[in-house]
Amino acid sequence: MKKVNKNWVEWTVFGVSAVLIATVIGFLVYESATIGHALPDIQLRLGTPEARSNYFAVPLEVTNKGDQTAEGVHIEVVLRAAGKEERADLEIAFLPRRGAREAWVTFKTDPRNATLEARVLGYEKP
Amino acid sequence: MTHPVSRSLREYARGLAGGLMFSLPLLYTMEVWWAGFVAEPLRLLLYVVTVFLLLLGYNYYAGLHHDACWSEVVIDSVEEMGLGLLLAAALLFLLGQIELDHSPYEIVGKVTVEAMTVAIGISVGTAQLGGGKGEARRGVEGSAKREATFGGQIVIALCGAVLFAANVAPTEEIITIATESHLAKLVGIALLSLVLTALILYYIEFTGSRQFVRRSGVTSVVVGSVISYAVALVVSAMMLWFFGRFDAGLLTCLSQVVVLGLAATLGASAGRLLLQ
Repeated sequence: MKKVNKNWVEWTVFGVSAVLIATVIGFLVYESATIGHALPDIQLRLGTPEARSNYFAVPLEVTNKGDQTAEGVHIEVVLRAAGKEERADLEIAFLPRRGAREAWVTFKTDPRNATLEARVLGYEKP
Repeated sequence: MTHPVSRSLREYARGLAGGLMFSLPLLYTMEVWWAGFVAEPLRLLLYVVTVFLLLLGYNYYAGLHHDACWSEVVIDSVEEMGLGLLLAAALLFLLGQIELDHSPYEIVGKVTVEAMTVAIGISVGTAQLGGGKGEARRGVEGSAKREATFGGQIVIALCGAVLFAANVAPTEEIITIATESHLAKLVGIALLSLVLTALILYYIEFTGSRQFVRRSGVTSVVVGSVISYAVALVVSAMMLWFFGRFDAGLLTCLSQVVVLGLAATLGASAGRLLLQ
């Protein structure tokens, strides 16, 4: 058999490549073995409202705890204060399995002395 | 005898340029980013293994080192896939598609899906874009024994088809065309694909066609074209399955295979002649 002759650059590239491929394959094998079939499970967490130039923005963390990706996640946030009700909504194109996205909803009313309620209106299978 | 470092660096740079050249449309396509986290891990794993087999085949039959033994072919393929992963990760980062706060699965998925075409591009680039006089590229005596074999031609046709079809396979347009087209037009697409394949391989004297395609009579033209188109259809079906387009009914699936088959057959015929 022929002997493989390589200089140090070639051996370095080969070494790094082999480690990278092994990592990716190892990760995918681990994920295949541990992944469940849980449907998308979307959790919402509202942050502290911030005043902007002429409106208020509320940060929203959207997390998918499920094992499947959700597409077109439609979220609604309702603000209630002293008999007033204001709604805001947003849509997230894709929410990967076990992934998270950051978003903001905005209101004209100051949310700092109101109650906020966030809920997912719907999503679909990609 | 080992190669000088400067020559290795030039080879890698050439490969990276080739990788970008062939896969940039995919790196700029949203559907491909999405495929990275929509596809299940097992599907990604299968994709990685399939592409690695293709790289082995391509490097064996058409690679830079024509006199390479199997261990060298394996080393080259590992390097190309590794560089593909690095290049895909770097570009996706620059394009803002992977961020450090994304989930590990999203990052690995996106990088893996993109890296596979980049790797084939790197392989083709390393072998084809060079041609400096001092390099052992396409030694006439070394290459002759592997070029004419049937298996070799099939492997290179597969690579060509994957490279060409990958650019459109993940897009929404394929399923739109497949579902909206009248059946007669789909038959038309299939006929056009076959005629194009025959013309490219046997008539228009495409680069390399004299060297790589046997021409003797009507039978060999028909058989050769049908085989190329069959390779294209197989590649179409595999890519569509990978991108999750096979959840639809049988007729829709078949229509999609035909629609994508046109791109794939260009790769399996013209691509195959250019890639070796």
